Amino acid sequence: MKQTPILVKEVKASLHLKTNQTFRLVVVLLFGFFCATSGLYAQHTQITLITRNTPVSEVLKMIEAKSNYHFAYNNKLIDVTRKVDVEATNEKISSILKKIFENTDVTFKVLDLQIILASSKEMGESVNNTNNDKVTGKVLDDRGEPLPGVSVLIKGSKQGTVTDYKGLYSINNLPKNAILQFSFIGMITQEVKVGSQLVINVTLQEESKGLSEVVVVGYGTTTKKGLVSAVTSIKPEELNKGAITDVGQLLQGKAAGLNITVGGDPTSRASVILRGPSTLNSSMEPFYVIDGIPGVDISLVAPEDIESIDVLKDASATAIYGNRASNGVIMITTKKGKKGVTHVSYSGYAGIENVTSTLNMMNASQLRAFATQTGQNLTEDTGANTDWQKEIQRGTAFSTSHNLSFNGGSDHNTYSASINYTNKQGIIKTSNENNIIARMTFDQMAFNDKVKIGLSVANARTISDYVPQLGEVLLQAASHLPTSPVKNTNGSYYENFNKSGYFNPLAIINYNQDQTKNNNLVASFTTNVKLPFGFTYDINLSYQNYSSLHGEYYDSYMYNYNGSVFYNNPNPPDTKSIVTFGQGGTALRNSYQTTNQSLENWLTWNKTFGAHSVNAVLGYSYEDDIYGDGFQATNINFPVNTVGFNNLALGNYSAISGAKVDFGSDQSYSKQRLISYFGRLNYNFNDKYYLQASLRRDGSSVFGINNRWGYFPSVGLSWRAGQEKFIQDLGIFDDLKVRASYGVTGNSTGFNAYTAQFLSSSMGNFYSNGSSIMSYGPNKAANPDLKWEKTATSNIGLDASVLKGRLSFTVDLYNKNTTDMIYWYDADILLVPAGGLYANGGSMNNKGIELSVTAVPVKIKNFSWKTSINLASNKNTITSLSNPYFVGGDSIRYTQPDGSGQTGSTLQIRQTGHPLGQFFTLIYEGKNSDGISQYLGKDGKLTINPTSDDYRYAGSPQPKLTYGWSNSFTYKNFDLSVFFRGVYGNKIFNVTRADLFRPSSVAFTNILVAAGNESVKDNNVYKYSSRFIEDGSYLRLENMSIGYTFKRPVKYIESLHLYGTVNNLFVITKYTGVDPEINQGGMAPGVDSNNFYPKTRTILFGLNIML
Amino acid sequence: MKKKYIYFIIPVLFSVFVQSCNDLTVPVTTQITSDVYPKDSAQFVASTGVVYAALRGNYAGDYYFMTTLTTDEAILPARGGNWYDNAGYLKMHYHTWNPDHGGTSTIWDWLSRIIGYDNQTMYILNNNMPAGNFKTRTISELRMVRALAYYWMMDMYGNVPIVTTYGDFQPKAKSDRKDVFNFIESEIIACLPNLSTTVDQTTYGRPTKYMAYALLAKLYLNAEYYTGTARYNDCVTACDNVINSSKFALEPASTYLQMFYPNNGPQMKEFIFALPYDPSFASLSGTNGNMYHARYDVPRSEKAKFGIPFTPSSAENTLPEFYAYFYDKNDVRDGQWLTGLQFMNDGVTPIMVTTTKKGYDQFYTGSDGGATYTYQVNLTPKVVLRQDSSLFDCGNDEISWNMGYRNIKFYPDASSTSRNQNNDEPVFRYSDIILMKAEAILRGGTATQGQTALSLVNTLRSNRTTSAAWSTVTLDSIYNERSREFTMENWHRNDMIRFGKYEGKWGFKVNADTYRRIFPIPTEAMAKNPKLTQNPGY
Repeated sequence: MKQTPILVKEVKASLHLKTNQTFRLVVVLLFGFFCATSGLYAQHTQITLITRNTPVSEVLKMIEAKSNYHFAYNNKLIDVTRKVDVEATNEKISSILKKIFENTDVTFKVLDLQIILASSKEMGESVNNTNNDKVTGKVLDDRGEPLPGVSVLIKGSKQGTVTDYKGLYSINNLPKNAILQFSFIGMITQEVKVGSQLVINVTLQEESKGLSEVVVVGYGTTTKKGLVSAVTSIKPEELNKGAITDVGQLLQGKAAGLNITVGGDPTSRASVILRGPSTLNSSMEPFYVIDGIPGVDISLVAPEDIESIDVLKDASATAIYGNRASNGVIMITTKKGKKGVTHVSYSGYAGIENVTSTLNMMNASQLRAFATQTGQNLTEDTGANTDWQKEIQRGTAFSTSHNLSFNGGSDHNTYSASINYTNKQGIIKTSNENNIIARMTFDQMAFNDKVKIGLSVANARTISDYVPQLGEVLLQAASHLPTSPVKNTNGSYYENFNKSGYFNPLAIINYNQDQTKNNNLVASFTTNVKLPFGFTYDINLSYQNYSSLHGEYYDSYMYNYNGSVFYNNPNPPDTKSIVTFGQGGTALRNSYQTTNQSLENWLTWNKTFGAHSVNAVLGYSYEDDIYGDGFQATNINFPVNTVGFNNLALGNYSAISGAKVDFGSDQSYSKQRLISYFGRLNYNFNDKYYLQASLRRDGSSVFGINNRWGYFPSVGLSWRAGQEKFIQDLGIFDDLKVRASYGVTGNSTGFNAYTAQFLSSSMGNFYSNGSSIMSYGPNKAANPDLKWEKTATSNIGLDASVLKGRLSFTVDLYNKNTTDMIYWYDADILLVPAGGLYANGGSMNNKGIELSVTAVPVKIKNFSWKTSINLASNKNTITSLSNPYFVGGDSIRYTQPDGSGQTGSTLQIRQTGHPLGQFFTLIYEGKNSDGISQYLGKDGKLTINPTSDDYRYAGSPQPKLTYGWSNSFTYKNFDLSVFFRGVYGNKIFNVTRADLFRPSSVAFTNILVAAGNESVKDNNVYKYSSRFIEDGSYLRLENMSIGYTFKRPVKYIESLHLYGTVNNLFVITKYTGVDPEINQGGMAPGVDSNNFYPKTRTILFGLNIML
Repeated sequence: MKKKYIYFIIPVLFSVFVQSCNDLTVPVTTQITSDVYPKDSAQFVASTGVVYAALRGNYAGDYYFMTTLTTDEAILPARGGNWYDNAGYLKMHYHTWNPDHGGTSTIWDWLSRIIGYDNQTMYILNNNMPAGNFKTRTISELRMVRALAYYWMMDMYGNVPIVTTYGDFQPKAKSDRKDVFNFIESEIIACLPNLSTTVDQTTYGRPTKYMAYALLAKLYLNAEYYTGTARYNDCVTACDNVINSSKFALEPASTYLQMFYPNNGPQMKEFIFALPYDPSFASLSGTNGNMYHARYDVPRSEKAKFGIPFTPSSAENTLPEFYAYFYDKNDVRDGQWLTGLQFMNDGVTPIMVTTTKKGYDQFYTGSDGGATYTYQVNLTPKVVLRQDSSLFDCGNDEISWNMGYRNIKFYPDASSTSRNQNNDEPVFRYSDIILMKAEAILRGGTATQGQTALSLVNTLRSNRTTSAAWSTVTLDSIYNERSREFTMENWHRNDMIRFGKYEGKWGFKVNADTYRRIFPIPTEAMAKNPKLTQNPGY
């Protein structure tokens, strides 16, 4: 930034010489704007300056040297040769300036880092009056505010001036047929024919939204207008508001094509799917890049620290991250310090959360009446009326957050630091999440500002207190008889172990513990070197360490449970497993850490030759990752329960016959390496025709020795048709751009790093020379040919802006084909004795259209309304599940919720020609004359004894449309935002409802009120079938926030913003479950099973203070 | 300007560094990879264990059912719905199995798994083991296990794909039975020179030279059935190679039964090749690995008599047609059966059961059905499908549970804490060599070494019975003798087919399809290998 003062001097000179003035002034202003988008005013920067008998010009230079401010003035208008004395100690620049220009007609206006000096006399007056052709006027912005610093130029000449702080200008010496050009950064340049006018007032319109906005792409940045790919940029003010600690949740509904589902449980993460699932692997989530560091865990970013989020959607944008980019890339940029501006800000909120929706189970009197009516005897009725769902909830859950940050910088360095504390209670008792995130970045210029080095460190510490055995607790809370009491008269928990699988859910919560402490550290060291001939060179070194310390304790109370076991009751596709409780309490502790080390370096060449401009990047990256480095141990038989899992050494498992220590998986640890070479070329001609081509060569150690390297090319073209004269002549478009791209990305995650290799483990005993020997051998096959899973995406897009930027829209059409999907294929045992292996095969297609529209319907002096809507439609189809060698994979039925009496019943089928998650079940055909549920049989006839042979296709969980609609209103200092979002056209399999739909079992378990209308004779009533497949469409008022900003309420406070936010104000849906927002990621999308977690509404109050 | 170029030293230097960082090899330090294992002789032995654990796998269980319940040797009827098991045992008995039958796919998978693991282990050992006698012998032993598995596969399924390497995942088509036969023969002949001639604990459970000859003899004896070409002289030669080694001898009558007791092992001088079972052995995933005979055969009322820790299921018994071979009161082999009235081991204390009248006979119609009823257990020879003949069900009462004579050749293991027994199962015994040679001579082979069919059979019989020696021998009498000698030893199906008796009638079976001499290719196997074609008839 050292150049800036030089340019200022040139401006002064140029104005004097009347050459090329507009361009350079714009440059000055541009720098000014980039330096400080919203900074402190000069009035507050204090400097010490003592000088005698010095020309004003020199004094101004001294001030420039001691601050970050630069002066812009026309030395024809302002006498800077006048000599002055200055004696100021820790004085504000404003007061120094006042002194200097005391008793002159010079006034000054601070425009961020620019201080514009103007003569209160009309500028033209001091210039030689060669004729009387003089025009004066005022330049305003579209809200009617005066615009200072607007360049006013006589078209075709180098003669011009600048508006003063009142937006006034005056220009002389106008030739005949003069045309005035009014230009200002961020505004649309206007031209006005002078003709006979003497006063020309102009209102400049803002340039269509964000054309010059910086967009972060891989290994560099570009501007919105220079983009050839489908990228959605989201500013912090557009992110979701509320007590949100998860970045996924911040983005929900904000970018077309990004389908994010958030469950009710605050300790669970949002599921993020971009442009439909593109793999059968577990890894469907996009790849996150934070401040240029690839693969950073998003828990490291506090929402308040986010400067911008860029969602890279098509392959021409993501291919530069080749190997890990096939699910899209999300780039997060955090707030950084700026030169000359010191920011201190605090933001905080306190929120309360209440339950809005739970399952509608029968209460005690309803259940008694139903039992009597149907001739059933409750197995337990103590006269109690317990609402078990309510019993396990907190009445109100509280959350608080504090974020304190400061940043700033001087000529040669910038810094920023923040600390964030969040505590969030879950609505189920004992569940809590506590985060502390600290972040610090420091950038230093060196070697004559040719080198910029930066250090950035962030650490996030999370303590999650989970509900122990949550699945079982929720199941018990839903199905427990309301006629059982919570406690005995002596205060102990009421239990009835004579009833099979009947446990008091509150006792489970209160007697046990389940906690994870995570610590996540990321540090990066960056170096940027400016080289001659337009080259720059970057090296980034980064290190990330994610460690977890997990503990579980099951009180000795649990051992008294019948059989001392129960099922963990997870959501499908996880399968039930038996949890066994040891005598005298069971403790489990494990600690694992994951580290990533990466080195990235690239050379950038930026050059403009006339109308041609070229940007080329050539780079290399190296990354070593270690996963699951750690251990686990368990112990039982503790003398007391009070130590919980904190001291494993106190237990004594060896005194219990047959007890063993569980050391966890023998394959938790893995290490992998990724090496990549990449290059990208951007070329544009005349800001009209853009070409981008990139190629990345990626190597990964996780693949078979024969196929470790893969190539990921991409190419993109865009044409800013709006720059063409024939489009401009239409007078419709402020901007019009057509984009087309094609590229290939890869996937190397979602399976163990050693998948391609032989790994031996114990394979049974055998007899050898009189002894029993444990044999060791590979328990799975090596696949030396395992290679990249590839996703090729074609994208066509259109960006347009009309009505002077008041309405803009973007349309993207894409076609995404994943091939060579890495998947576990069943194999001929003769060839692969372990029965199957990870191999490439199968393909999947996603086609879709995305539309986003932003409009400013109202923008008047005190009021504005901005609205934007995004719509996305995606069609997912599995196009093949075969593999050249292995056929296992097609038509596999899966998702087995194992409801009572329904073991073996599956809900979904994985089949060529169908979407991922295709429901495949019995088709419900009402009831027969005896009131028994009947189903469509294989032979087309109705049956009351259906089998799995009668399964048929029954809808898709993939939504036809996802949408988000945001609105922001400002009135004077008030702001209001209202955000709706929803999905349309998806089906949900309501397994939760089916499992609670058992009118004939009220003797043992509670049922839904709705099941009370069913006949107890109908033994099919709860059978998983199309009867329980429901429309999952919904519209939710996700959040509404109202705020008020005090500008400079007291001396040291720049601004104070107070706000209140409500989340989940209402949801409109026909869905009968707790909430229609059911996970749409993973292999079993759209299955609502064991989904008892209550849905909540949060109301919070917060404030942001900027100093 | 020249000076400016100096700046580029940084990236240039860096790119040199980069070139040195192009290695994707990540040493695996936390897992047993083929780089670190197997490396020494103990590890080489341990890595072959996978194959032996696989071989033991389903031999004593599913394979036993497949080779026994499909013959007159045993039947496993349902009892009040128990043990109906989707008509699996019914179909074995009736000879009405189809490609979806569980047994047919279990055996296909088991044999495929032995072959697959065998190929995979050889692939690793060929890479990791230093050349030498130890390697040559170890690999030859593995090839013999594979040959044995292929023999069984060919015997069960006829035409099967031949896979001899690991790593080529291209599906293989089936080879003709004749080609599979030739492959097995050539494998045995190729391995013979490298196999051990030691017969003791060190080679117990592993293929020796004599196991190879025994398998060869079995192959040749059945050659006419398998390929249409008789190889009886070759069978005699193979048998002679075992006989002449003098490493084996027939157990005398006094110890015949002990040969199958839980404590059997390398000391058994008749065992040419046996599969060691031990309740303490962990099983190979995907296989059963256990030995469960008492679970199926011992009456529920005799838990105490045999001192076993569990109540046996007691579901399986023999048929009168098969028990008919046991008419010689002087034959020690009669001792493997439980028949008639049951007594404790002292031979005098009756085994009594107290139940109700209805519990004794579910069809009791008297009004005092709940009255106590005590009786002495009396096993009856016949199975009657009293409850439901279409469901293969003889009812769930005491009468039903006492139907059928029970075999306790693999004597219940009182020392085990589970259902799993310690009895090793012989695959080839010396008596089989004697009877095979006798049969081969009877079928046209040339007698050698002064041993005739009659002399050989009488040598065996003199160690089994005190009754007079035979004066003549016929194929039928050899068949009968084999039935007595190898009861429950998994060879009866093979014998019945060779003697043309597999299409006969016994129990409730009426089906006489000759195509059922081989089983169908399981549906699942055809799904996993599209090149497989179904066997004729299925």
